[in-house]
Amino acid sequence: MPKAKTPPQPVVVGVYLDPHALVHAAESARDRGFRGLDAIVPYPVHGISEALNYKPSWMPRITKSFFFAGAAAGFTFEAWSMAVAWPINISGKPFVSVPAFIPVTFECGILCAGVATFAAVLMAARLRPRPNFVPIDPRFTNDRFALLIPYGEEGPAPAQSFLAGTGALEVYEIAS
Amino acid sequence: MSTHPAVAPQRPVPAPLEEPPIYREDLTLTKVTEDILAPVFAKPTRQWWTAFLIAASCFAIGVAAVVYQLIVGMGIIGIQWPVMWGTYIANFVFWIGIGHAGTLISAILFLFRQRWRTAINRSAEAMTIFAVMVAGMFPLLHVGRTVIAYWLFPYPNQRHLWVNFRSPLIWDVFAVSTYATISILFWYGGMLPDLATVRDRIAKSGFWKKFYGVISLGWKGHAKDWHHYEVAYAMLAAIATPLVLSVHSNVSTDFATATAPGWHSTIFPPYFVAGAIFSGFAMVVTLLVIVRYVFRLEDYLTIDHMEMMNKVILVTSMMVGYAYFTELFTAWYTSNVYEQYRFYGVHFDPHFWLLFRGPNAVPAYLMWGCNVFIPALFWFRKIRRSIPVMFILTLFVSVGMWFERYTIIVDSQMRQYLPSSWGSYRPTRWDYAVLLGSFGMFFSLFLLFCRFVPVVAVAEVKQALRRQVGEPPAPKPAMEEVNA
Repeated sequence: MPKAKTPPQPVVVGVYLDPHALVHAAESARDRGFRGLDAIVPYPVHGISEALNYKPSWMPRITKSFFFAGAAAGFTFEAWSMAVAWPINISGKPFVSVPAFIPVTFECGILCAGVATFAAVLMAARLRPRPNFVPIDPRFTNDRFALLIPYGEEGPAPAQSFLAGTGALEVYEIAS
Repeated sequence: MSTHPAVAPQRPVPAPLEEPPIYREDLTLTKVTEDILAPVFAKPTRQWWTAFLIAASCFAIGVAAVVYQLIVGMGIIGIQWPVMWGTYIANFVFWIGIGHAGTLISAILFLFRQRWRTAINRSAEAMTIFAVMVAGMFPLLHVGRTVIAYWLFPYPNQRHLWVNFRSPLIWDVFAVSTYATISILFWYGGMLPDLATVRDRIAKSGFWKKFYGVISLGWKGHAKDWHHYEVAYAMLAAIATPLVLSVHSNVSTDFATATAPGWHSTIFPPYFVAGAIFSGFAMVVTLLVIVRYVFRLEDYLTIDHMEMMNKVILVTSMMVGYAYFTELFTAWYTSNVYEQYRFYGVHFDPHFWLLFRGPNAVPAYLMWGCNVFIPALFWFRKIRRSIPVMFILTLFVSVGMWFERYTIIVDSQMRQYLPSSWGSYRPTRWDYAVLLGSFGMFFSLFLLFCRFVPVVAVAEVKQALRRQVGEPPAPKPAMEEVNA
């Protein structure tokens, strides 16, 4: 299926050895008015989300809402199947035996919340099997930290000079 | 204009609790990656092949026994009235319990910010999944007509029947399948960045590059990805915590809601959960002693980590000891003759030569000895920090916990209310073969896991390491010069 591709935007990459320098550079870049900043890091770096002005993640809302939706669906189904679809008198217990329905209700909630959260991560990070994946730089999953500054018509020079001034070990540009 | 001082007073930052270093100070990020990924890239060693062949042979024996049972029927295993729940159920409860340590380490210790977990969480989670897979097979075999085991799930059928949601057995179906699903998601989700690390270390293109490209799902490590990922990880930990406590509580209600003496007890849920964590940690220690030796990961799975786990074993050992004592107290204090008869029989039946042949007290002695008295040796620091000693002690715990399950399940059925319901139980060679096969399956899967994915969470170790050595002093930003 052909996909509508956004034209790849060229970026300038600054490579850092130290996450602290990266966060500092990201803050400076934000203050200098660079737009569309991005960073690639081998492990979650404290402070980078704030430096890049990310809003708090919406993941908790997914987990919470799917937990309650799953639990509600589970309980409704239990009550329907036990009391409506085929009510059977089992040792004189009420058809809707609320305490006895709680464990399955709870498990349904947990199952929905967990699967939905995982699916949300896949969507948020656009994860899918990529057999021919080529990383920007394989060191970014190992021991290097990168700040990516996209550039437009003004050319890469301002971003390059800025990154060079923030202690980046290497500065290079890539077309996409 | 304002009464406020020009510079807002800094809020006093509470001093962080003193935390002992958990990793060697001279580890660098590059070295962490190389060390932990080394087993993935190395050719399997002779030790690995030996271990794998032994485990796979045991597994094959179990498979053969299961196939034979499926062909000729349940008659070949030892269950007979009144003991209709035999070693299959004991194995089920035992293996589910083994799995609990993984979730405890990955979820509960995560919520408690215990950073030493970063060294062990990956292998403990893997252990959880394999243990739950092994455990999940036993109810399917136990129902006898395994081909229609799917009747356990509610699905629309031509008989218009639904499962009985008031039954703890159905709670179990939901609890265990949810637990397996969430554990796999948690484990796999936590592994994505590390799989990407493996993928990016493979130089030449080919099958393995494609393989890790597929299973790492194209993880790139953008800050935005991590931003959502970290919160999602915390969310999964937050739901896995009540889940893990609920699973073995549900398992315990299989017994506790029944009326048999020895089963009908309100202490069962916490008792089972404590026992599960206890046996699971023992299994983690057993496995990690081997892993750190075979894969040379002593810098990551340090003696301090092992000591922490032994402390958890000690605490949970006391919890199960308390529960055992409560059984005695209940039997005495309630003056319930059936409970007393059962307790007396389980603990003082002198027909020792009848082990695995009929009612006797040997399983209970193994249970008390291996679960309460032997782990008490962990009170001594020297013993907590001795690798060979902890290896042997944790093996004792595994044996003791299996016999605890056996005692609870089998012994109670042998001593029910009426003398007409008293009976004996004798597992057959097929019971033993399936038990052996379950260990074979578990260890085969674990050994394969050690070969193909990093056994220690690389990204999490790096993060913990960074916290430990502290952020290096911020380089003077060039902003001033640029602005000037």
